[in-house]
Amino acid sequence: MLRKVIPVLVVCSLLVLLIVPGCGGEEGNVIKIGVIGPMQYVQGEHHWYGATMAAEEINDAGGIDVDGEMYTIELIKADSNEMTSPTDAAAAMEKLITVDGAQFVVGGFRTESVFPMIEVAMDEETIFLGCGAATESLCQLAVDDYDRYKYWFRVTPFNSTKLVSNSLMTLGMAGAIMQQGLGLEGPMTVAILAEQAEWADGMVAAYQAYVPAMLGMEVVGTWRPSATATDLNAELTAIEDSGAHLILTILSGPVGIPYARQLGELEIPCASVGINVEAQKDGFWDATEGHGNYETTLNTYAEGVALTSKTVAFIEEFQDRYDQTPTYNAGTYDAIYLLKEVIESTGTMDTDTLITALEEIDYVGAGARIVFMGTDTTTPHDVTYGPGYSTGLATQWQDGEMKAVWPNLGVGEWEGVTYEGVVMWQIPDRVIAYYTQD
Amino acid sequence: MVEGIIIQGLIKGGTYALLAVGFSLIFGVARMINLSHTCFYMLAAYGIYAFAKMLGMPLIAAAVLSLLATTIIGILTYRLFIDRVREHHVTVMLITLALAMVFQEWMIISFTSEPLGAPSFISGYWEIIGVKVSYQHLLTFGVALAVLICVWALLSKTRLGVAIRATAQDSEIANLMGINVRRILLVTMGMAAVLAAVAGIVVAPTLTLEPRMWTSPLVMIMAIVVLGGLGSVKGSFIGAFIIGFVEVLVVFLMPGGAFLKGAFALLVMVIILLVRPEGLFGIAFEEERL
Amino acid sequence: MLRRLLKDFQGDVLAIPGRLLALIFFVILFFIPLFLQGSSGSYYLRIFIFANMYVIFAVSWDLLSGYTGQLNFGHALFFGVAAYTTALLNLHLDWQPWLTIPLGALAGVIAGLVVCLPALRLRGPYLALVTLAFPLILLGIVFAFTDFTGGELGISGLDRISNSRTTDYYISVAVMIVSVMIMWKLTDARSSLVRTGIVFHAIREDEIAARASGINTIRYKLLAFAVAGFFAGIAGAFHAHFMRIAGPSNLELTLSFQVIIWTVFGGITSIYGPVVGVYILFPLMELLRVVPEVRNLIFAGIVVAMLLFMPEGIAVWVRDKIERECPRCKLSNMAFRKTCRACDTPLYERAVD
Repeated sequence: MLRKVIPVLVVCSLLVLLIVPGCGGEEGNVIKIGVIGPMQYVQGEHHWYGATMAAEEINDAGGIDVDGEMYTIELIKADSNEMTSPTDAAAAMEKLITVDGAQFVVGGFRTESVFPMIEVAMDEETIFLGCGAATESLCQLAVDDYDRYKYWFRVTPFNSTKLVSNSLMTLGMAGAIMQQGLGLEGPMTVAILAEQAEWADGMVAAYQAYVPAMLGMEVVGTWRPSATATDLNAELTAIEDSGAHLILTILSGPVGIPYARQLGELEIPCASVGINVEAQKDGFWDATEGHGNYETTLNTYAEGVALTSKTVAFIEEFQDRYDQTPTYNAGTYDAIYLLKEVIESTGTMDTDTLITALEEIDYVGAGARIVFMGTDTTTPHDVTYGPGYSTGLATQWQDGEMKAVWPNLGVGEWEGVTYEGVVMWQIPDRVIAYYTQD
Repeated sequence: MVEGIIIQGLIKGGTYALLAVGFSLIFGVARMINLSHTCFYMLAAYGIYAFAKMLGMPLIAAAVLSLLATTIIGILTYRLFIDRVREHHVTVMLITLALAMVFQEWMIISFTSEPLGAPSFISGYWEIIGVKVSYQHLLTFGVALAVLICVWALLSKTRLGVAIRATAQDSEIANLMGINVRRILLVTMGMAAVLAAVAGIVVAPTLTLEPRMWTSPLVMIMAIVVLGGLGSVKGSFIGAFIIGFVEVLVVFLMPGGAFLKGAFALLVMVIILLVRPEGLFGIAFEEERL
Repeated sequence: MLRRLLKDFQGDVLAIPGRLLALIFFVILFFIPLFLQGSSGSYYLRIFIFANMYVIFAVSWDLLSGYTGQLNFGHALFFGVAAYTTALLNLHLDWQPWLTIPLGALAGVIAGLVVCLPALRLRGPYLALVTLAFPLILLGIVFAFTDFTGGELGISGLDRISNSRTTDYYISVAVMIVSVMIMWKLTDARSSLVRTGIVFHAIREDEIAARASGINTIRYKLLAFAVAGFFAGIAGAFHAHFMRIAGPSNLELTLSFQVIIWTVFGGITSIYGPVVGVYILFPLMELLRVVPEVRNLIFAGIVVAMLLFMPEGIAVWVRDKIERECPRCKLSNMAFRKTCRACDTPLYERAVD
């Protein structure tokens, strides 16, 4: 009997599921903003946290003033499942806009998924403020077909080519500190450790050319593990054999944790700088069992470092609410304030007017001063990078705390550029021990 | 460099051998491909994290508890789900796949998708002929060898081992000879789960825990088992070291292509199978009509 | 002539509940866009378009693995190869979708033939695991030549199939119905037109016996791989143009496993099984968006539950409830009939007394 009933029950519950989502829905003076991201990951979680914080602050202050009438913000959360399936991400985006009625969308992370998500948003002529994918080509779409792709803006991060210059400057700084502190002779040597990914390819080529040319260091080799590798023992043994002083990393995947852990545990005598996305997260220290000490990575926020006048308050509030340091994906906070800014200044919800206003905006957010690049540049609607605009940070793990160490000791255009709360970069103990024992 | 290749290859091979032998055993005895095999490895790894780090238990106690819990889950899984559909081969594969997804989602819900680190049993490293090897890796290798010797002894020296091998050769005849095949299958499944759990416990501290950590070793051990000959424990053991060495060789000899180590290992498997369709130590399938 | 057709229709379609349901399903598919007007319509149509593509994909797996018994764990290979081929042709040579999709499918055929080479020597689980390796090796190649393949970013900016969602939908429905009908005919063991159906069955059941009966099994295996590669390729190429991107996710393990889940859930070796499987499971995943945290868990749970209670698949389970095969002349009958519609043999033992 039971064997017959259960399938029937399953079918019935499916039918109920089919019908339920069709119900509900109310209208009022609301602006619906969709937040889309991989909600099962920190990236998506922070998309949502940043947006929620902004929306609640705005709503508590009375809402958004559209030509004299007050509107409240209603956020709609959409799990794009984009890490596994771009198909799913596109469908989530379409549902968000057409079924749930989102008028603006913020978020997005994995480039292969953000492409189809942009396509959907452009089809629906909906403004999409990106807060996650760094690929330069996302902003090049508008060069060829401005009318179609004008709805896409990137609020954060600045595009991946700029990561090269930040990494090189951090490397130069670390190299100089090491050379001085340890009294090393001759050129510093660098091993490049980059995960195998398209976005890293261009950076690797740039490093191979610029590390010797601009910094006078020598590249001893390039290793390309998979972004999801779980064991880098072999790579690290090979790097130690090569005698490198510094490791320049490009790691966005989970590989960043075993890398840092084994680097510390095996006491490989190399200092590590570059990009290690895992090291941007609070859980990094625990995940590496403390072996991740001295790991240095480019970053966006650090506790107590005032990128703009709003940063410190933003980070404190974020930590109060969610007990975590925000990652760059929490830039949805700035994205929502940007929307408020343009809607209030134009007094309309007309998409084309808002796009013109966004193109002209000069807004000081929590993460940076946001100015979008012009339509005459190669990457229209990308966030502007440089001293005085969005610069980013580099942070180093120092005995369990994430400390900002760059911008500091810059030269040329970057001379004197630094923020309150930035400390000196430290040479790892294992490196000091190795070079002072001989 | 040669020292590095040898030592790293042995360690890698040892880990794979632990996982592959269990998988091979369950295939040999029950003729089923258990796609949730590496999930027990994941469960044990998360188990040690939960017991030791979240509940603050001593590491050894956490390891034992985690091993027990995983084995029980393994046996229950077999009893409740797999046993009932054992006759349909494709259904077995699918149900184990679906169960693997269930385990994965369970881990996501309990521990989030973020990578976590499990505590090491012993921290530090030892220099063997100039190559730094962490104690944890040495432990893995030692445990792998010890456990595999135990399995070998069990299979060849005990009555239970004879019964298992008899069932593997022909379960119907074994049944006629008075062997309780259902019980043997259950015991084998338990053994496979123990092997996977041991691998999870000793390997976990050397890598990151994440809910999708079962997929890539699953592919590799399937390659190993096929390459060694399905159902042949000796074959899986040797296959594990072949694949381990191929991976390490790729990392050392072409640093720019380290990410290709998985692809190369699979390529080696395909090539070996093209030469010997039944794997290195497999029984020719030609006459057996599944 | 017309009357004859009508009579065939009555006998071969209306009298068999399974086929009647299929007909009703196809007819409904044609009217769906009429009910889905307004802005949210495009979202629902997108779901149906995806479902149609995955139906082709899943049915092609059923033809290869269900009927011919060549267990393929790497079916995503055909899908991905076709997607990448289409994308490259469209982007670099600027060829239009109506040309690149068939060419993509041809690339799927070539991929099928390449995979078939080991398949001629390997059997059962060995074959399954070797086929599993192919898309993963190709994925390695994709990441090795990023200039050409775009690495993890994929190849984006492809042409659309058409400019309207409704047109896309009708194209997908038409392609799906035609593909499924062709594959159904090819696997129909009782067909008088082609004998592939019965040969495929024979290869699966006992390849040695089939060879001993004078069947060139190699040729038929090649054919099965080529046909499966072709239709999986159509699905992949269509998917690439519809999504406007071909990327590594088209080759991943998830997709290979997904197709097995759909097919076995619906009912393997039945053609309509995968259709039902996709049309239940794919929209189900969309519905489960209301509970994003446990979405995959519920999905996996339902699959486990169904497999336990209907190990042969849901479509086969339903068919057995509504159809009854005549014990004498093997004709399908409605389950409520007491005697066969052709030969009047009692359909159930008990009907006699």
